[in-house]
Amino acid sequence: MGSRIRRETLVKWAPLLVLIVLCAFFAAMEPRFLSTRNFARILIAASPALMVAIGVTFVIIMGSIDLSMEGTVSVCAVAFAFCFLWLGGTLASWAWLALPVAMLVGAALGFINGLVHVKLRIPSFMASLAMGFVGTGLAMVMTGGDRIRIEDELFRSLLTERFLGFPLMVYVAGLFLLVAWFIQTRTTLGRNFYAVGGGEDLAIASGLNVNRVRVLGFTLAGVFFSVGALLAVGRIGIAETATGNNFMFLSITAVVVGGTALWGGLGGVWNTLVGVLIVFVIGNGMVVIGLPGYVQDGVLGILVILAVILSTDRKSISFVK
Amino acid sequence: MSLEKLKPYFPWITLAALVLVVGAINPSFLNPASLVQLVADIVPLFIMALGMTFAIYIGGIDLSMQQVANLVTVVATVYLVQYGIFVSLLCIGAGFAIGAISGWITTRQFVPSFVATLAMGFIALSGARFLSGERALSMNAEARDASFGWMFGNTAGVPHELVIAGILLAIAWFLQTRTTFGRALKAVGAGELAAVASGLKVDKIKILAFALSGTFAAIAGLMFSVKLSGGDANLANGFLILAIVAVLVGGTPLTGGVGGVINTLVGTLIVVVIRSAMVYLDVDATMQQMIFGVILIVAIAMTIDRSKMRIVK
Repeated sequence: MGSRIRRETLVKWAPLLVLIVLCAFFAAMEPRFLSTRNFARILIAASPALMVAIGVTFVIIMGSIDLSMEGTVSVCAVAFAFCFLWLGGTLASWAWLALPVAMLVGAALGFINGLVHVKLRIPSFMASLAMGFVGTGLAMVMTGGDRIRIEDELFRSLLTERFLGFPLMVYVAGLFLLVAWFIQTRTTLGRNFYAVGGGEDLAIASGLNVNRVRVLGFTLAGVFFSVGALLAVGRIGIAETATGNNFMFLSITAVVVGGTALWGGLGGVWNTLVGVLIVFVIGNGMVVIGLPGYVQDGVLGILVILAVILSTDRKSISFVK
Repeated sequence: MSLEKLKPYFPWITLAALVLVVGAINPSFLNPASLVQLVADIVPLFIMALGMTFAIYIGGIDLSMQQVANLVTVVATVYLVQYGIFVSLLCIGAGFAIGAISGWITTRQFVPSFVATLAMGFIALSGARFLSGERALSMNAEARDASFGWMFGNTAGVPHELVIAGILLAIAWFLQTRTTFGRALKAVGAGELAAVASGLKVDKIKILAFALSGTFAAIAGLMFSVKLSGGDANLANGFLILAIVAVLVGGTPLTGGVGGVINTLVGTLIVVVIRSAMVYLDVDATMQQMIFGVILIVAIAMTIDRSKMRIVK
């Protein structure tokens, strides 16, 4: 019995252990890795991805998947930029309204995504992939391929204003992480995600409106994608169709590396935080210790596989797809 | 004929309807010569989608195919002069090996295929970037024509690419429907636990399925390389998602066990007709991506057979 509990504990904390080992390794190779400056760099890069990954975490807990993030992030970024500039172009004016507008746009896209999935009975993989195309396309139509610059100093203070060595966007990401944690553990909706992912038959039998939970899950994911979009725009000061690029594989890899199971019912936002940090620490660490560029992709691949292997409880699953 | 019996033909009906609609609006789309050329041009995508079918048929996915194809374009370009036509063996061997390793990581190490193949793709990308020296390489034209000139050209009006595609489709179809391996694939896709219980060597079958998808990715990469006469670590980018879309639109859902290589043929044709129709119908370039996505949702909603999916996840 004792060893069984130890194994479960070990599996639960494995992603965090992997993260600590990685940090220790990079720090041993290059002491500068441990500087506040470098940690700030990692967290700045990770903040938008963390928001997107948290959004998709809820969907994955339900046993579905959402691949629409690239399109949704692009549309939210562009919608925010247009709205922001139209309303005055500085946070000190009514243009702050562009922030909630962008989040509403994200919610709306997620809502449509969920409806397409549930009402047309299309598996979420395909429905959200196609919705992602629609989103990227919509951003393309809105911008006509142009980049929109956001130069408002107040908005850019997300990046430029530092508190205790870290820029404001890191604290914003932390705040939304807490919100996500609250939703996951303290609301009925959060518990329902686990119910749907843990066993849909049971959830239906106990009278849960599964379709409603699914649509809400995708809507919530859309909101978090939009927060990711806002942070991404805050980070580089540009909104364009390409703002959403690379988020899809990055966020899902991070979720899985963090120990959230793709078949649903397991994991949560803290796992995702650890997963995102693992992916970004690997990326940053390889640059800091000076690995040549062409090796970095391969090393990332190997380390991701190892991280997932180490954090999988192989005794409790019979197969994976 | 009842609706139930018609279901397997939904993808075909969707394809026919699409072609007729586009043809009705712009008759020049139906010109046989341009249709043949249109289809010949997408043969590498089709081959990739064929390989993807095996991975999706067993309920997994292979996200490494694009990078495998990239790696192969570089390998083929670098070693063509040295090995001549036998470079193809090297390429196919590399594809088979990468696929088999992905399969091993998925089945024996319990890493979801989504992540395992994605990570293997990164490793292949590293190889391609290293081998190419991060440059776009071009093939030795003489050696290319001597070894692989037969891949392109026409015989009696039939482009050679189509013949190659036909042969590969026949092989894949034979594997899927006429061999024990094919039936084992279906068993694994439909219900892995049941397949284990009935004594199938599920791990071996799954590893082989991923190896096959890697092999097909390598063949697609080789064709790319010969067609564009060069190799580059980014040459095949953009084809992965299209290949997945082609398989899904054809009616092979990600749940596995349903669909197959013929579905993929239809799916690829649907994707290509949609893409080229937008050119024929003068759709504004910035609008194309969005319209593609919308039509995709409609096409998937029409083609997938939900009778075998109890829960839609």
